[in-house]
Amino acid sequence: MKNKKIMNDPYDHKTPLAKGHAHANASLDDAGEEFVANTATEFRQVAASSAKPCNHKGPCNCSSKVDAPAADSHEDRMGNLVEEAVVRAIFPNDLKRREFISRVGKTAAAGLIASVLPIGNMRSWAAEPVKASDIEKKDLSIGFIPITCATPIIMAEPMGFYAKHGLNAKVRRASGWAMVRDWGINKEVDAAHMLSPMPLSISLGAGSPEVPYLMPAVENINGQAITLANKHKGVKGPQDMKGFRFCVPFEYSMHNYLLRYYLAEGGIDPDKDVQIRVVPPPEMVANLKAGNVDGYLAPDPFNQRAVYEKCGFLFKLTKEIWPGHPCCAFAISQEFASTNPNTYKALFKSIVDATYYSSDAANRKEIAKAISPKNYLNQPVTVVEQVLTGKYLDGLGNIKNEPDRIDYDPMPWQSMAKWILSQMVRWGQIGPEVDFDAVAKKVYLEADCADMITDLGYKPKKESYDEFSIMGKPFTPKDPLGYAKSFSISRV
Amino acid sequence: MSYLAVDHVTKIYPSLEPDAKKGDEFVVFENINFTINKGEFVSMIGHSGCGKSTLLNIMAGFDQASSGGIILDGKETTKPGLDRMVVFQNFALMPWKTAYQNVELAVRQSHKEWSKAEVREWTMKYLQMMNLESAANRRPSMLSGGMRQRVGLARAFAAEPKILLLDEPFAQIDALTRGSIQEELLRMWESTNSTVFMVTHDVDEAILLSNRIAMMSSGPRAELAEMVEIDIPRPRVRAELIDDSRYMGIRNHIIKFLVSGKAMSGQDKSDKSSLLAV
Amino acid sequence: MEKVSKFLNKLTSSPYLLSVVLFVVFLLVWSALTQVPKFDASKYGEDDLMMMEMNGDIVRNEAGEYIMNAEKQGVPGPGPVMDKIVSEFQTPFAKTGTNDHGIGLLVSYTLKRFLSGFLLASVVAVFMGMLIGMSKTLLTALNPFIQVLKPVSPLAWMPLLLYTVKDPFMTSVLVVFMASLWPTMANTAFGVSNIKKDYMRVSEMVELGWFRRFFSVVLPAAAPAVFAGLRISFGSALVAVVPAEMLLGELGVGYLSWIEWNNLDISGVIFAIVVVGIVGFLLDYGLSKLAARFTYVEA
Repeated sequence: MKNKKIMNDPYDHKTPLAKGHAHANASLDDAGEEFVANTATEFRQVAASSAKPCNHKGPCNCSSKVDAPAADSHEDRMGNLVEEAVVRAIFPNDLKRREFISRVGKTAAAGLIASVLPIGNMRSWAAEPVKASDIEKKDLSIGFIPITCATPIIMAEPMGFYAKHGLNAKVRRASGWAMVRDWGINKEVDAAHMLSPMPLSISLGAGSPEVPYLMPAVENINGQAITLANKHKGVKGPQDMKGFRFCVPFEYSMHNYLLRYYLAEGGIDPDKDVQIRVVPPPEMVANLKAGNVDGYLAPDPFNQRAVYEKCGFLFKLTKEIWPGHPCCAFAISQEFASTNPNTYKALFKSIVDATYYSSDAANRKEIAKAISPKNYLNQPVTVVEQVLTGKYLDGLGNIKNEPDRIDYDPMPWQSMAKWILSQMVRWGQIGPEVDFDAVAKKVYLEADCADMITDLGYKPKKESYDEFSIMGKPFTPKDPLGYAKSFSISRV
Repeated sequence: MSYLAVDHVTKIYPSLEPDAKKGDEFVVFENINFTINKGEFVSMIGHSGCGKSTLLNIMAGFDQASSGGIILDGKETTKPGLDRMVVFQNFALMPWKTAYQNVELAVRQSHKEWSKAEVREWTMKYLQMMNLESAANRRPSMLSGGMRQRVGLARAFAAEPKILLLDEPFAQIDALTRGSIQEELLRMWESTNSTVFMVTHDVDEAILLSNRIAMMSSGPRAELAEMVEIDIPRPRVRAELIDDSRYMGIRNHIIKFLVSGKAMSGQDKSDKSSLLAV
Repeated sequence: MEKVSKFLNKLTSSPYLLSVVLFVVFLLVWSALTQVPKFDASKYGEDDLMMMEMNGDIVRNEAGEYIMNAEKQGVPGPGPVMDKIVSEFQTPFAKTGTNDHGIGLLVSYTLKRFLSGFLLASVVAVFMGMLIGMSKTLLTALNPFIQVLKPVSPLAWMPLLLYTVKDPFMTSVLVVFMASLWPTMANTAFGVSNIKKDYMRVSEMVELGWFRRFFSVVLPAAAPAVFAGLRISFGSALVAVVPAEMLLGELGVGYLSWIEWNNLDISGVIFAIVVVGIVGFLLDYGLSKLAARFTYVEA
């Protein structure tokens, strides 16, 4: 059971070198000394803040991050090899390396390197695909809300994507977002469909106990709409909406932020000039029919359902506000991901695979049929089909054709996270002292998803997403706080 | 040697008058003093409200005397017990138990060391004595008033108490049934040689059944006005009693007392020297 | 005229016949009010027909002709509801997916939750009620707490329970518990404190020990009041379990009514209501039969 080293541990600076190792100078030169003196503390800070879990299975005592690996699995040994090669490439001079490491400490050195090169990624993702026997937990329960946003999570069950990657996952239907959140926190489910702001808010402890959450993938982009009651057919824009009563599904939702953004751009203060209530989506349709509300910004199929029930019409698709905006996401607790890394990887793969399949327009009709029955969405097939195919009735007597009314792209860009955080700050849900970069990086696993996409053999739909505009105003990812403060209607 | 002595018993309540001050008292009766001998059947007669039922409750242990006490067989008693079984005016049978079970309860409690079979035998014996065999497995709601009181009597006698206290036992039973139950009571009393104290309104009943009748004056401050000896020989047959001159004499005496509130001797009730047996 | 009065006489003579007649009349009225109008396809152009079909307003029947979609007529008539009932009862124990179990299974889940909470509450309530009924000091001491807790709706406890207990099954059991506690406790206390003095006198007279007295006299004497309390609690508990399921997302009959509402499937909602009503009726009937064994008529 002893660790059989393939090569020497690159971080080991104490074991005497074998004969014949190259060493010109045994000590660091001046530049090296200065480097160490000025930046040693920084290294340690970087090491402390790069919150990548160690890859030890089960409980361990390592203070943080990339520690001496317990090389008892093939993946670990591969990973060690990679890391070793990298470190040696940075410090080809053995003695210099050893001196450097003895001065700054192993953890800091590893941390510094990890902050520049994603060795963690390289370690785990460079290894071979997950073997079925390595999956720690095959029977999974995944929570979802019956809306079309969760299409990849839902259809992966009947259309076999979970099974394809060695998992026996069952999707469990919740009746509201608070329920999904509680299921996730109380470990009633292993992973869940959540609104894209939720992993951020849960990790920050805003509106719930603070539990570190990860968002490896976005489920859908676009796919929402502002639906208004039939009596408001003459409304042209936000200025006509003073005094309206709106509904959104949850406070920490893209629906809430997009609605507020839209209203604010039209000079309407969402907290003073209109009423925005949190209502479960199915009840929104019933309320619209009863005349209790004037409209809502909701996930589909409840916008199309209003047309189906002849009580409302589609005023604006959210893709017209921010084309390509994230909506719902696949979320998992950091604890689950670190204690079950192979399961996590297989699950991640299934989701990304399912997302790409859903994205293909040719598959939409088939998917609509698969997710409409009672066990999943429990909606009439025609409603779901109209949403997914983008050929729909808009409630004003027209048949519209918008194939990307809803689309599926898994990349959780950190710039999206920062936008969401900026809006949370803007409306006073969290304080302005939040560390945008750190939180975005910690929760939105942009790099991991990119790796997964290429791993599965797909092409990323976008190369990067650093710049985007919403209703003509560009977002500045480098200064989200300033962006939040830059609006005339804002609570900060 | 008296078996049961009512020793100068007084009962006082705090006054319930609307304008009463704190400390004002209402004296129900005072200084009731008489004895009952073993094997005797003593009745007490008086107006409603004179406190005769209160006195019975004190004798039974359900209530406490304000002064004086009850001495049974040489010992003072203050709490209820199997040695003084009560037969209640409204029967007080447990309605969820059958007639048999009601009687059996008393039998079991008073003969704790008996076996199940012995208890059963004893219970059935007393039920038979009161002609209740056919009704043994019926609940009280299925029995007539007369039957219910028979159960009450069976229960009281079956426990073999030192004295039986009967609180207007037949007041709620119709006149026709009353006659047969009274006879059964007499039979029971004679065959078991028990001691009985009965409170009643009914003069004829008292004369028919008792050895002596205690007459309570009316309250407040009621007292034992007179103790009348009934020297009519037994067996006393109701139908023939009417022809007996002694019967009518005693009856009239008592009724006059009840009507006037005074003892026959002409003394009014404030004269305490009227505490005499005639 | 005579024939009519003869007929009415016959009708009102048997109550069950009257029930049947009332029900039939109700069905006829319901049916009349929810008639699906006839659809005349010839009045509309191709495009209109396509749009109507897309929106689900019209569907094709077996002959391929267009008819109005019965499922979209607002409140459904007895026909669609009957179809729903029949189809649900065909596979009562099926499990077509994690979220879709047959009605038989759903009823069993709901019953499990309901009975656990109700039984637990009954035991605690009877015990507490007895103590309170027998001791005036205890009653006065506990009364303020009882009065404050009693009016709180059982559903209001749910978030607090979910937060502390976390497990949804225990949470729903405890919600049912909170709903069924108070009526039984109050009635038991009332029954015990109002035991006729005579029974207590008799038990003193026959020198019953406190243990015997409790089981032989107090408990049976208070039993009718206790059962009255149980039947009231029972109603409260059933009322509480349905929304508790809706809010907790646990499979059951309450969950069914929510998920059918989700789809605006009114037949489904009516079906769920009917099922809850029938289950409640059967259980209450059972309880009343049980209660009858312990009631007595005051002599």
